[in-house]
Amino acid sequence: MGGSEARNVLVMGLGNVLMGDDAFGPTVARTLESRFDLPPGVSALDAGTPGLDLMPYLLGVKALVVVDTVSSKDPPGTVKTYRLEEILRAPIQPRVNPHDPGLKEALHTLDFAGQCPEEVLLVGVVPENVERGLALSPAVRDSVDAALGEILKELDRLGVPASPRRNASEPDLWWLGRDS
Amino acid sequence: MARITVDPITRIEGHLRIDVEVDGGAVRDSWSSGQMYRGIETILKGRDPRDAWLFTQRFCGVCTTVHAIASVRAVENALNMEVPLNAQYIRNLLILAHGLHDHIVHFYHLSALDWVDVVEALKADPAKAASLGESLSPWPGNSKRQMEAVKAKLKEFVDRGQLGIFANGYWGHSAMKLPPEVNLLAVNHYLQALDYQQKANKVVAILGGKTPNIQNLAVGGVANAINLDNESALNMTKLFAVKDLLDDVATFVQQVYLVDVCAVGALYAHWLGYGAGVTNYLAVPDLALDTKGTQFDLPGGTIFEGNLGGAKAITSFQDAYFKENVEESIAHSWYDGDWQRHPWQEDTEPKYSEFDPNGKYSWVKSPRFMGRPMQVGPLAQMLVGYATGHELIKKWVDYALGTAGAVAGAKLGPGVLHGTLGRHLARAVRATVFSELAVKHWGLLANNIGKGDTAVFNPPEFPSGEQQGFGFHEAPRGTLSHWVVIDNGKIKNYQAVVPSTWNAGPRDAKGQKGPYEASLVGNPIADPKRPLEVLRTIHSFDPCLACAIHTVDVEGQELSKVRVL
Repeated sequence: MGGSEARNVLVMGLGNVLMGDDAFGPTVARTLESRFDLPPGVSALDAGTPGLDLMPYLLGVKALVVVDTVSSKDPPGTVKTYRLEEILRAPIQPRVNPHDPGLKEALHTLDFAGQCPEEVLLVGVVPENVERGLALSPAVRDSVDAALGEILKELDRLGVPASPRRNASEPDLWWLGRDS
Repeated sequence: MARITVDPITRIEGHLRIDVEVDGGAVRDSWSSGQMYRGIETILKGRDPRDAWLFTQRFCGVCTTVHAIASVRAVENALNMEVPLNAQYIRNLLILAHGLHDHIVHFYHLSALDWVDVVEALKADPAKAASLGESLSPWPGNSKRQMEAVKAKLKEFVDRGQLGIFANGYWGHSAMKLPPEVNLLAVNHYLQALDYQQKANKVVAILGGKTPNIQNLAVGGVANAINLDNESALNMTKLFAVKDLLDDVATFVQQVYLVDVCAVGALYAHWLGYGAGVTNYLAVPDLALDTKGTQFDLPGGTIFEGNLGGAKAITSFQDAYFKENVEESIAHSWYDGDWQRHPWQEDTEPKYSEFDPNGKYSWVKSPRFMGRPMQVGPLAQMLVGYATGHELIKKWVDYALGTAGAVAGAKLGPGVLHGTLGRHLARAVRATVFSELAVKHWGLLANNIGKGDTAVFNPPEFPSGEQQGFGFHEAPRGTLSHWVVIDNGKIKNYQAVVPSTWNAGPRDAKGQKGPYEASLVGNPIADPKRPLEVLRTIHSFDPCLACAIHTVDVEGQELSKVRVL
């Protein structure tokens, strides 16, 4: 590995902030940015729900940490981690709607192109409620710190540790309302 | 008679269900159903209209920019505002770059594999593929070495025993007709397109901010500070980076994307008769050239029953013909009641019941224009432009028809555009028109800044009482309109009538099918268990209903299926 710039590490929160617990990824990405100083070459991104449009953000990334909701039989709020091989092993769905593809499909496409990030960690939380609404359910909100812990551990492992900001600010969770 | 349901049974990602009745190898009847309730508009009630665009761009993760733009236009319309020229040009460049990105991805990464058999490409002779590519285009990325490298990469991938992104494709289907060399050429461009969609997206990022959700809009203009000497503002370095990226993308679109669609279309010429469906078309003008929105570089208007001679133009952001004639019907949608109303008068009261092909069967409403179903999308805009003598559109439509005709050995007129392949061809033509206009609008912005104009924002003022506004935008998937009612500075009602609603909506009270439904009737079906032909026609619209929510499933089983009853 070259210098830290060449590492190009991306921490990406996925999810729709208007859909209850689906806001987990964006919440964690924004919280990371507001509370920690990220070393050069490491960035955090609230990427929303771009489907296959994730590709432009993943091209050139060497190590990726994704934060998202995951479907699982475990109780809401459970934080689970997965590595690249496990994500790629999960079956691709028959395509009905061309925009169905999400993370798995974007990674598969880049894998075929030989441009997949070398390391991928998915930090997932099991949601309780993904109906329209602007707040995380309590169990999921309580898991934000656990997810941050997984991210910090991964950044350490990658040799690009984040340090707590001296002047930590409140994360910009604008959808929770400034005026209502 | 067989009934096929292509049904994504998860609530997670697939929200479109298509049912078709097949008899004698062709579709006889069809139903399009949106399987997820959105209703996100209700989140906006009571909010500050200046914040609405932040929320609306989260409606959908793919179509972020377009909902942001339609939203600020709707509020500006309600307040009868103008926006500074720089703001129009910067919005136009965002629209152009976003559209280029979206059209490239749609063709290569989301729908080309309906026509291109990846596995067959392994049988190709790289030298022949290279000489074919070089005969079609001056593009330098079609060399023999390049073809050999792509074939080797594909072979390694297939030999691994799992097809990765190509798993679940309909490889070897009898409806796949391209020679191996064309398949290899297409796989080559599939890979190269990755770089060019990223370049287009970088333009959006430079102008709009780092995330997929742009940050630079405001009711009244944009929030980009213009200062040619300031590092953090929109400066000379950033402007020239934008220009270089747009030039690169223009070359790819003109030398690769358009050529590929012409060639693939010509080699599937027997498909030219399929998939027309609703031949009423609606497009809105876009790329405003003045502060008020009365002059545009992209045309809008209506065409009824395929009659190009009767095209009627939509001409301004205040256009009464558009404003007065949009309604939505819920006759077959899961909402309480059975009305057809103007968006300002709508409400959204969900009332779910079973899927009933004779009753209610979709969460999608049925938009109507003067009571008629309308097809929206690149084809609508290219036909309106062709019919109204838009020079750039006419130039590239004629070029595309000439190129495809030369490969097919036939003379093709604009009439062949009504249909599945026509939607792909029109999208490629639109991308080509965009590639020229992007360079033009970059020049307009640079010249205007060069004159010393750095204004980007007019502050909005909210009078007391009630105002109604509408804002439209011709998005990659077609006509998008937002409708807002403001009461004492707060949002009282908000409705988004989105392109995929126009196209995917169910029947209305008169029983008129929506465009997806109508387009499937008559489609051939070679193998009901592998209904590739249904996917071809639906994918040609570039449907996007799926993005309201997103969850990764790494433990689940196959989540969607095809059922044949």
